[in-house]
Amino acid sequence: MKKSLIMLAAAALLCSCAQDRSQILKVYNWSDYIDETVIGEFETWYEEQTGEPVKVIYQTFDINETMLSKIEKGHEDYDVVCPSDYIIERMLANDLLLPIDRDFGETPNYIDENMSPYVYDCFSKMIGGGKNANDYAVGYMWGTTGLIYNAKYVSEEEVSTWDVLRNPKFADKIFIKDSARDVFSQIILFLRQDDIRGGKVTPDELMLDSSDEALADVEAFMKQVKPLVAGWEADFGKDQMTQERGWISLNWSGDAVWAIEEAAEMGVDLRYSLPKEGFTVWFDGWVIPKYAQNTKAAKYWINFMSRPDIVIRNVDETGYVSASGSTEVLEAFVDEELDPIDLTYFFGADADSVRVDPVLYPSRADIERSAMEHDWGEKTPDLVAMWGRVKGENANAMTIIVIGVVLAVIVAVGLYRRFGKKRNGRKRRR
Amino acid sequence: MKKFLAQAYLWILLVLLYAPLFFIGIFSFTESRVLGNWTGFSTKLYANLFSGSMQGSGSLISAVENTLLIAVVSAFVSMMLGTIAAVGIHNLRGRKKQAVSFLNNIPMINPDVITGVSLFLLFVFLHFSQGYLTVILAHISFGTPYVVLSVLPKLRQMNPNIYEAALDLGATPRQALWKVLVPQLRPGMVSGFFLAFTMSLDDFAVTFFTRGTIGLDTLSTYIYTDARKGGLTPELRPLMTLIFLIILILLVIINVRQEKMNKSTSK
Amino acid sequence: MKLKRSHWSIPYVVFMAIFVVLPLLLILVYAFQDGSGHFTLSNITRFFSDSDALGTFAVSIEVAIENTLICILLGYPAAWILANKDLNRSAVTIILFIMPMWINALMRTLATAELFNTLGITLGKGTLLFGMVYDYLPFMIYPIYNVLNKMDKSYAEAAQDLGATPWQVFWKITVPLSMPGISSGVLMVFMPTVSTFAISEFLTNNKIKLFGTIIQENINSSMWNYGAALAFIMLIIIGISTLFTGDDEREAEGGLI
Repeated sequence: MKKSLIMLAAAALLCSCAQDRSQILKVYNWSDYIDETVIGEFETWYEEQTGEPVKVIYQTFDINETMLSKIEKGHEDYDVVCPSDYIIERMLANDLLLPIDRDFGETPNYIDENMSPYVYDCFSKMIGGGKNANDYAVGYMWGTTGLIYNAKYVSEEEVSTWDVLRNPKFADKIFIKDSARDVFSQIILFLRQDDIRGGKVTPDELMLDSSDEALADVEAFMKQVKPLVAGWEADFGKDQMTQERGWISLNWSGDAVWAIEEAAEMGVDLRYSLPKEGFTVWFDGWVIPKYAQNTKAAKYWINFMSRPDIVIRNVDETGYVSASGSTEVLEAFVDEELDPIDLTYFFGADADSVRVDPVLYPSRADIERSAMEHDWGEKTPDLVAMWGRVKGENANAMTIIVIGVVLAVIVAVGLYRRFGKKRNGRKRRR
Repeated sequence: MKKFLAQAYLWILLVLLYAPLFFIGIFSFTESRVLGNWTGFSTKLYANLFSGSMQGSGSLISAVENTLLIAVVSAFVSMMLGTIAAVGIHNLRGRKKQAVSFLNNIPMINPDVITGVSLFLLFVFLHFSQGYLTVILAHISFGTPYVVLSVLPKLRQMNPNIYEAALDLGATPRQALWKVLVPQLRPGMVSGFFLAFTMSLDDFAVTFFTRGTIGLDTLSTYIYTDARKGGLTPELRPLMTLIFLIILILLVIINVRQEKMNKSTSK
Repeated sequence: MKLKRSHWSIPYVVFMAIFVVLPLLLILVYAFQDGSGHFTLSNITRFFSDSDALGTFAVSIEVAIENTLICILLGYPAAWILANKDLNRSAVTIILFIMPMWINALMRTLATAELFNTLGITLGKGTLLFGMVYDYLPFMIYPIYNVLNKMDKSYAEAAQDLGATPWQVFWKITVPLSMPGISSGVLMVFMPTVSTFAISEFLTNNKIKLFGTIIQENINSSMWNYGAALAFIMLIIIGISTLFTGDDEREAEGGLI
């Protein structure tokens, strides 16, 4: 007992004082989202560049909103965090971010040197109370949302449209991500495809459509999808695809890369499709929250993360696609066996014909159909409510019977005790 | 015959309970990244686990250590607090008893997220810096009700006059407590400890919300956050298998020693 | 004795006041607020007018009842066998029942789902109940085992001397005397089941939604207001109903000399 008390006290002490806070960098990132050897190298590099030592405390989270809640309501003092695009937007709009200045003294500014014009462009479209998101966030990884499909059972043509989700041929073989916003965005693009083609509205504008009408239309569509769905998954849909329990899965490109590779080992041919009606792109980016206490090390961290060789190591280890626009990174992905595609939008004018996997980097033609999602802000409850209605509940006759019987038994027992005792006049206490 | 049927019944239950664990164990011998895919026999995952060539093995080890520390400490405190509380509740009557029982039930009714969020708000409100201490306090708060509910039946079963009888026969209150009351309650205390320990091991939401920013990870937080991107780290399978085997071996040893003790005392 | 034994409950009451009641009040504040911080009852009324939420609540209760019943049906015999010295001499066998719980819940449930997939059993209500019973069986076995283990055999023997059949002995003596264990087990199984969600995600591919899932979804979408309100409603309904079963316990207590 005494020993554990001492250990407790020691642990509490260790946590509260000891090291100088300016020599600690608290990083908050997704799990499996970095090459961990890079962390130690950052500490060395930082000391070289600034003459000050630093120790990185690396923490992981799994859900954007809970991460944000803890920072917002608990003022947690993480120095640098990697949220998703719509949360960056929300944080920006709610004044929760500090600007990332580029004053690095003699150290090169890898951030601006390697900024992809496409990422810059998308970030400037973020709605953050009049501020430019590029001053407050630096892209880390990015990707698209599309359909992973099993080439043996699903043809490329069938899966080139979001309507495949309503195709009864694939009943019980469809996995949908349990994410209201991601699904909504794709479906609205599908439902409004005529308007898009007719030039009446752009994909970007549709991403800002949170009207009741849009919600109702998407709800109607999804209710038709629901009977065909094998499961609403959060993390394990890609696993199930590799086992052929599903043939189509609405998923993100990062997971697609992973699934395709893993499936190949099992002899399953998975591919990734970006439907013709349009799709969304997503970004995860580094930000410095308002309650950070070591902003200097934070911005050096972001700088280091933008250095091309570090980018390549992170990408190699995690399998995700970097938001860096550096040519060095591009070259690392060139595969001579692939057909050339146009990636000028991402890497600049020289990249008009590069042999890169379009699952990683969609070609320029594909990107034209895409848009970045926005934060639903105050309309989030409506979205969540709609999603709840889509997934529905399962009360049926059985439910009523079971509950009814139990209630009846409880009431009967209660009555018996009350009146049965009086009749028998039993007294059990001595 | 009766004994055979009885044993068979237990064994069937146990086989059903352990089937998923054997499943994990079998698949710890293949390198696939998805649990359930077999890509050929290989002990590479075990090698990775020990050689340190696995990414994040350092944080995994410290996560295991933290998990054990937090679970043992919080379960122990829960046991002490819960036993004393159970004695108190047992001797309450009427409205007071109902009220305290209701309070005791709250952590069990509330979903983990709510317990986690509410405790988070508490520590923020009290400006209490979050870390090991807050996690342990949080675990005590949801572990103690299980101890209370484990000890109460023993109190009800116990002859209420035993304590007084001991005093009458000349025992000091302290002796009466340790030599009479506690032995009667011990099975309940021990089960309570195990149940609280189990709840602590498995907890994610409460730990996540009360762990602060010091880089504290338990096995649960490690695994739950790990599942989000890139799938569950395959090396977790050998880790779980090993943990499980170690416990099993410990159990067998304890059992064998008990048998020996029983044999020697019965002689 | 000046220091009554009921006073022993005071340390715990103080502890709970700080670590259970106060946090609850802090989160109840959210339940009665809307997004901009104004007092409102709309979160509460929203639940009662939302047929989906009501339906999910009913399903959760149903599953909890079924889980509890199955746990009693399977757990009581197991506890009885374990406590019966003729049939089981090892004291550690019972630990075998709780050990699977020491493997992380996520991996355990995932492995169970994979096992079902491999065996070709479709995920749904049946697998959900399997997963539930799996997780909660030890919580039923332990308290019953503890009571049965130290049960005074003299009652059973006296009854048999007076001519009762083993069946009568079981139902009229053993079961009533083990009620404290059963009621603890019921509480420890029923209450948490209503608010569980992770199991249903894996073992039904998220097709059966439980009440805990809704609360989880709301908190995870930063909608603390509605989530807190739902938790509050559940607390009131379940909490009050468990108090009623508490009344029965006093009767059983009176039965023990």
